[in-house]
Amino acid sequence: MKLIRIAEALETRIAYGPAAWEQINIKSIFSSDLMSDILMSDLDNMLIVTSLSTEQSIRSTGMVNSEAVVITNNKAVTDGMVVLAEELEIALFCVKFPTYETCVRLGRIMKT
Amino acid sequence: MTNMGQKGSFQSLPQGCELIGDLKISEVMTRNVLAVPRNTTIREAQSIMKENSITGVPVVDSRVVVGIVSMNDIMNALESGRMDDPVTDWMTFEVQALAEEMPLSFAISAFSKYPFRRFPVVNKRNELAGIITFRNINLALIRELSRQLQEKNNLNEHSVDMSSLELVKEYLLSRYDFENGGKASSEIKKFLKGHGIPSRLIRRVAIASYELEINLVAHSDGGMLGFDINADRVVITSHDHGPGIADVDQALTEGFSTANEWIRSLGFGAGIGLPNIKRVSDEFIIQSTLGLGTMIRAVINIHTKDQHNN
Ligand SMILES: Nc1ncnc2c1ncn2[C@@H]1O[C@H](COP(=O)(O)OP(=O)(O)OP(=O)(O)O)[C@@H](O)[C@H]1O
Ligand SMILES: [Mg+2]
Repeated sequence: MKLIRIAEALETRIAYGPAAWEQINIKSIFSSDLMSDILMSDLDNMLIVTSLSTEQSIRSTGMVNSEAVVITNNKAVTDGMVVLAEELEIALFCVKFPTYETCVRLGRIMKT
Repeated sequence: MTNMGQKGSFQSLPQGCELIGDLKISEVMTRNVLAVPRNTTIREAQSIMKENSITGVPVVDSRVVVGIVSMNDIMNALESGRMDDPVTDWMTFEVQALAEEMPLSFAISAFSKYPFRRFPVVNKRNELAGIITFRNINLALIRELSRQLQEKNNLNEHSVDMSSLELVKEYLLSRYDFENGGKASSEIKKFLKGHGIPSRLIRRVAIASYELEINLVAHSDGGMLGFDINADRVVITSHDHGPGIADVDQALTEGFSTANEWIRSLGFGAGIGLPNIKRVSDEFIIQSTLGLGTMIRAVINIHTKDQHNN
């Protein structure tokens, strides 16, 4: 699924989007607030969903070759996070929904 | 091709096809498309376009496109001083719409065939589903191009640039410096990527390195993360001078962690870092003495297959 569809379904605020982020292909969703969980995951083309708004969330996303991370719960992102997302070419999104609702919405569009 | 008002057929472009593969218009178009009803005035349409920085907007009658108002139409109305006319008096009726399930190549040929800068996209029920502009197509092409390049790099292991694949480097990490924890691993990851190492392999190196790096920051009194890379393998070492681990076997058990509340609030302390490093490494050694410090060595082979053959 293309990232643009996800951005729209989640009414996303785009904190940073690399060139042509709309076309990033997402094959699986991984949600956790534990960085080691993300690092343990074995899936490809993941969208990371977390309520942890830290620079390490962006780093962990990059370590598993993911190209997009969604910060839930209407949390603000720091300038440092945006700079890091830019450096690592990772799409950084903020959504107002809690993690659970974010995942429910994602589940709905992934099915169609 | 869905025709509204005018008949026509598009040919697909042979050159574009290879690159865009089997992308469909629906995967590339903008979905959240603004549309206005028939009774909208030109003035209202103009302000909607201005607010949203767009240069045209479809006119719909219960979601079916009946026309499109462009900047041109608005200028014409303005010249005649008739900004309060309904959009239907000035809009273009003969709208070429594209169907969302069409291949992207159809959209590309539509742009070369017609003077329009945007095409509304409709679904099977002929309702407005999105809009497609040149920008959408450019972005799709850029993304597809870089994806295909990357795939080529990943498949072709011979493209690994062995000649200069050599690096010995050490990074100093301080206790609780979470701000810098991860920088070393990112740098190494970038270095390997620059040498065409397959991304699956880079991911394993990055995971081991990052977990070690964070452990130094979170659990040690400060230490050193070292890399020794050549064409055969990546060796990552972590050294610190305390406090050491009381029971190494316990530390290697999934779920065991001594992380405090603060570290946990930062997303660490699940107790699966060390087991994960072991999982992704081809060799893993840990030595620790309470009061003295901890030494960990993780090796990830680059040429596993070759080694098996020899
Ligand atoms: N360099 C170190 N110095 C001292 N103790 C360490 C060091 N590395 C790990 N440990 C100990 O081993 C435990 C387990 O480490 P591990 O990396 O598996 O989990 P964690 O760091 O607690 O949590 P996670 O890595 O899942 O975020 C740690 O909680 C800590 O007690
Ligand atoms: Mg750890």
